[in-house]
Amino acid sequence: MFNFSKYKYISLSASLVCIIIGFFITYIVHNGFAHSLDFNGGLRAVLQLSEKENKESITKFFDSNEIKAIVILIDREKNQYQIDVGLDSIPRIIDYNLKNSTIESKANKQQKPKIEEFILMLTSGIGLVNEDILSADEVGAVVGNELTSTGISLLVYTMIIMTIYLSFRFQFKYALGASFALLHDLLFTLAFMGAFQIKPSVPIIAALLTLLGYSINDTIVIFDRIRENLGGKNDFSFSEVMNISINQTLGRTINTSIATLISIVAIIFGGATELFDFAYVLIFGVFIGTYSSVFIAAPVVEIYSNLEKKST
Amino acid sequence: MKSSTWIFFPFIILIIAVVLLYPNFATRQLELVINPDYKTLPIEESEIILNNFIKRWKSDYNSNGKYTITPDPEKGIPENLIFTVTGRFITSAQINQISQENIKLFLESKNILIPTEIERFLKKGKSMTIKLGLDLQGGMRVVLKGDFENYIVKLKSLYTKEISDLNEIISSKDKSPDEKEKAKKRLEDLENSFELTETRKLIELEKAKLIIDNRLTNQNLTEPQVRIQKDQDSIEVALPGVSNSTQILEILQSTETVEYRLEEPSDGERRGAFERVIDKEEDELVSSNQREKTDIVKFQTMINNKASKKAQDEFLNSLEEKYKIPSDKFKIFAYWARGSKPNSPLLPRKFVILEKAIALSGNDLTDARPSYNSNNYGWTISFSLTPAGSEKFLDVTTNNRGRNLAIIWGDKVISNPQINGPIAGGHAEITGSFTQEEAMRLSNIISEGALPIPLSILEMRFIGPTLGIESIQVGFKSVFIGFILVMVYMVFYYKIAGIIADIALLSNITILMGLLSLMDFTLTLPGFAGIVLTVGMAVDANVIIYERIKEELEIGKPISVAVTNGFENAFSTIFDSNITTLISGILMVRLGNGPIKGFAITLCWGIITSMFTSLVFSRILFNLLLNLTKIKSLKLGFKSIEAKNV
Repeated sequence: MFNFSKYKYISLSASLVCIIIGFFITYIVHNGFAHSLDFNGGLRAVLQLSEKENKESITKFFDSNEIKAIVILIDREKNQYQIDVGLDSIPRIIDYNLKNSTIESKANKQQKPKIEEFILMLTSGIGLVNEDILSADEVGAVVGNELTSTGISLLVYTMIIMTIYLSFRFQFKYALGASFALLHDLLFTLAFMGAFQIKPSVPIIAALLTLLGYSINDTIVIFDRIRENLGGKNDFSFSEVMNISINQTLGRTINTSIATLISIVAIIFGGATELFDFAYVLIFGVFIGTYSSVFIAAPVVEIYSNLEKKST
Repeated sequence: MKSSTWIFFPFIILIIAVVLLYPNFATRQLELVINPDYKTLPIEESEIILNNFIKRWKSDYNSNGKYTITPDPEKGIPENLIFTVTGRFITSAQINQISQENIKLFLESKNILIPTEIERFLKKGKSMTIKLGLDLQGGMRVVLKGDFENYIVKLKSLYTKEISDLNEIISSKDKSPDEKEKAKKRLEDLENSFELTETRKLIELEKAKLIIDNRLTNQNLTEPQVRIQKDQDSIEVALPGVSNSTQILEILQSTETVEYRLEEPSDGERRGAFERVIDKEEDELVSSNQREKTDIVKFQTMINNKASKKAQDEFLNSLEEKYKIPSDKFKIFAYWARGSKPNSPLLPRKFVILEKAIALSGNDLTDARPSYNSNNYGWTISFSLTPAGSEKFLDVTTNNRGRNLAIIWGDKVISNPQINGPIAGGHAEITGSFTQEEAMRLSNIISEGALPIPLSILEMRFIGPTLGIESIQVGFKSVFIGFILVMVYMVFYYKIAGIIADIALLSNITILMGLLSLMDFTLTLPGFAGIVLTVGMAVDANVIIYERIKEELEIGKPISVAVTNGFENAFSTIFDSNITTLISGILMVRLGNGPIKGFAITLCWGIITSMFTSLVFSRILFNLLLNLTKIKSLKLGFKSIEAKNV
């Protein structure tokens, strides 16, 4: 039997360090979270490409100019593509246009609207005529700041109600453990997304919510076992019971994780490139959700019950 | 199980779910209705249109031969003017595509997917197929902004007369102080009603949303989602599957109201004083062969060039300045009509000066319908008036005999008949050179109520699916393959018990989908993620149960006892973990918006169905298995545990 209880301080501090490093990388190295059209808005164009051009050639053009663009095929038959460019790429677009402009236009250079710069780059860079640009506009954020504020209030309310429910069905200390685990998973995943500059988008929010649900579920399964084992065996100490319970549920934990991972990995092998970020966050979530139940939630409960014992 | 009759209960639920899902996979019929105008086209043109359709049908719409079309279009247009397409999985996107690419051949608003019996019975023919959101199939997104400034101006002009009357009372000498006090109070109330608070704005937007929703639902082609964006005073309309529908845009844009205003007094002449000044100026230009310099021709050119609403308003305002029309009393409008030819467009023909005060607003009108008047103007609209409206109408017609009463549709004067005498009874007619469609549209607007606030189009564009069609298709396929792999894994690991888990899993998805299609749910990407999570939790529930049974078997319990104990021990685990997730799900439905809500709704219902299938359904199946096969050993996992069956 593996002694999980022994490593509780290591795991708790390791998680804390990881989260701090993650946010450090996010804010110091990358200047915050990745920009995405869904959150920050940007420029979007729909292009009609000629037959000899395809996604690769477009992507190559943007890559060679270090412009982060998302190229999406909308209509295979008509060979139409949608190009999304974040607002942070605009200086590079202007640079590109300056580099490629003729001398006289350089002379009377003046601030043009962003969208015109974008169109200029598309026409000169990819060799499109204006008719090929079916639409080009500056788009606002789909999910704005209100998502952050509702997200935070949602998290607070969820933790309060969860605490009440778990205090009623279990004890307060379990509620504390579950809330810690939930918060841990959220912060850890955000740190992961920031450090690896995964663009926050609507699918990513879905992934985030999914992993939080997965994590709550996983935590309760282990708590339930501890509760059950405590009922019969009062002669064991809490850490022993916890250890036994975690070991007993290990078979289930591994099987469920494998089953879940199979379906997520299928997304990556399926080759839907635009869903890769979604899949990465979910895979990360399965690991972190499983890890947090054993190494965060349970230790918090244990530490709290040790404190309780001392005070009595 | 104590009572054997209960065994059938889950099966009945499963059957109901399958029935609810039937419209999704049934063979459906799509009626394509020929546009009546098509018959009036010259033969060569109509043949080209039809041949084009046949070509597109073979190469595109029916490239894999899944559908049949009757009668064969190559034999010409059928007598009853209807082509029927039969086949499975006809999506709204396909219907839209066919309708819009053959706009001259088919009448877009009449094309209809014949509802199945189930839909007729449960939803009065409303579609019950699972709808995909804008992010999964792309479509049209229109953002309409509430123009509250304009709204206030309109509101004020509705009360112009009352306000001036009240001011007169207050300033007049021979009214009693009591009356003056009353008038002051009423004036204050009126002024307060012009103040727009956030809540009032929201109420007006809410009303507008309801009307737009109704108008779109009547189109039966799309699955519109209409949402209010509170912080921007705007309404967002998402039309999944619609790539470019002119008709739908017209419906959205027809935010025009209908109202009545009196024309400036003409003092016995044919036209009013200001109007005569305009006429004189214009006539002079025409007689000196400078027709193109007249304001009305300038205005017509603007309309032909599709000038924006703002530019049109500015032009009219400039005319008001040019002719020094007192803007506190009068306002200049254009009189719109068709030319003498039958198909000539509706264009401004002359300018009219109307009183600023609105004599009768659209809200006073009810229950309008188009009617055909063969000896007169073609299509007209007859309508009834509300009790208050009839009173006002009688008032106006009594006091203004001989003057012209103009009917304004949006900002177009479409007719200004002379008042010959008082009209009582609350029935009247709008004449104007309407086509049948226009008459229909206008009467719909009057009947449903006009939009309470003018809406301007803030943004309107076609958007592709969030991830691109390619990725969505690949994504769906991989999720499907992943799902199959999970099922294979369950059988591989838990053997026969795994098959039971798989059956429970499939029924879970079936029941969930049945529920969602009953609730008219639109599936979005986050919603899909919610389903994936519940599937994961359902698998987890079965894993928990089987691991529990395995433990019981390991300590030497007989199979039947082990199974019973396993299910009972697992119950509290599954219950608590699911309920905790359900609680956060419900909070997300209540507090969340957009993507969070879509995720939470499928999650909540998914938890309920998965608890049912894993705790009730799979237990019944397990007991059936034990009773029917008298199984001797149960293999869960790689270690075989032989157990006695008692």
